[in-house]
Amino acid sequence: MTGFRPTILAFCCNWCSYAGADLAGVNRLQMPTNVNVVRVMCSASVKPEYVIKALSQGIDGVLVLGCHIGDCHYMTGNHRTAKRIPLTAKVLETVGIDSRRVKLDWVSAAEGDKFQQVITDFVEVVTGLGPNPLREVRF
Amino acid sequence: MRIAFEEMKADRLLAARTEHGNVAPVLLARGDVPGELRTDVPYQMANILLRVVPYLGSDRVAVVARKCDEKAIAEMSKRGLLDPGKVSLIGLACDARQVSECRCSDPCPSKVHIGECVKAAPADKEVEDLLAKTVPERLEFWTAQFRKCNKCFGCTSNCPVCFCDECLLEEKTFTPEKGIPPGFAFHLIRSIHLADKCVECGECERACPADIPLLALRKMVNRDVKELFGFVAGDGETTSPLLTTLDGEPMEDDHDVC
Ligand code: SF4
Ligand code: SF4
Ligand code: FES
Repeated sequence: MTGFRPTILAFCCNWCSYAGADLAGVNRLQMPTNVNVVRVMCSASVKPEYVIKALSQGIDGVLVLGCHIGDCHYMTGNHRTAKRIPLTAKVLETVGIDSRRVKLDWVSAAEGDKFQQVITDFVEVVTGLGPNPLREVRF
Repeated sequence: MRIAFEEMKADRLLAARTEHGNVAPVLLARGDVPGELRTDVPYQMANILLRVVPYLGSDRVAVVARKCDEKAIAEMSKRGLLDPGKVSLIGLACDARQVSECRCSDPCPSKVHIGECVKAAPADKEVEDLLAKTVPERLEFWTAQFRKCNKCFGCTSNCPVCFCDECLLEEKTFTPEKGIPPGFAFHLIRSIHLADKCVECGECERACPADIPLLALRKMVNRDVKELFGFVAGDGETTSPLLTTLDGEPMEDDHDVC
């Protein structure tokens, strides 16, 4: 699997994680470059169907980042995320996609370093898993 | 079957009967000729009930309901789609053959009017076998299955708890407008979207012309939901965990019930 660079999609909520990602950038923290950040208004806008669609189209890993519980701009938005995303991961594993390809974490606007850490770790895990098997599946 | 009108004082009866040699649902009013009513063929009455309710006005309706219909009706009333006060259930117990076909774990309606309760089927062998597979083997199995799908939407139309106003699967973002099969996402989105409502009636599997083992898939997803949240669909009280906060409070902004 040498030279495999996974394609990663990171959904970041506008109010915390995207700001966190920004901070990481401003601080010039070194980060893997194969992560595509998608800014969403709240982690709750990341519905399971988006995660599933991304994976079924061959994205190797999906990261969902939101505010810490209690800090969501929309009060309980991330409570919803905290239930939906683990369920999505579990169901994916049930039908044969490794659940480690989906990860949920909380990153606040002040946690540039945590953002770097989460991204780096996730890329490492997904690199270890190899390419998304659905890339090869033609329907 | 006249219990509906005398005992339950209902204005209408929703049941299945023989029509031109086939079994079809009928909505009878008091005094109608009942014809040959049938209870031996599984018929998903909950689904039909939801569709006729808007035309019934203040009429009270009695409906022949198996345990799974009863649960589906509970899921509907919980979401405010119908008024449980206007619906009386005529409990129909499934026979041994039907129970074994669905590998049903909960076949006995809360009040039995027709038939006799039989024992629940033992653990579902098909599900056990699928879960015993490794993750890559599961993928191989399910891609082979999903490839057969011809996007007929039979599974959706026949599902009693598939009741959102706007169907995600009809959006081209998730289901390509042209061509079959619709791909992996179609089935997974459906699984997740029904994860907190599916009552394991098996109607999707019966409807599927491609013989995809949809009931096994539903059962596995339901098991996942149970493991994660300890929630089982089908009772009229417990709000779905996907509609509550982490502390179990209902979400303030909840307008999408589905
Ligand atoms: S078994 Fe199939 S048809 Fe029945 S409630 Fe579940 S998804 Fe719907
Ligand atoms: S009933 Fe079967 S073939 Fe039809 S859309 Fe559903 S899974 Fe596909
Ligand atoms: S706004 Fe950040 S998770 Fe809701």
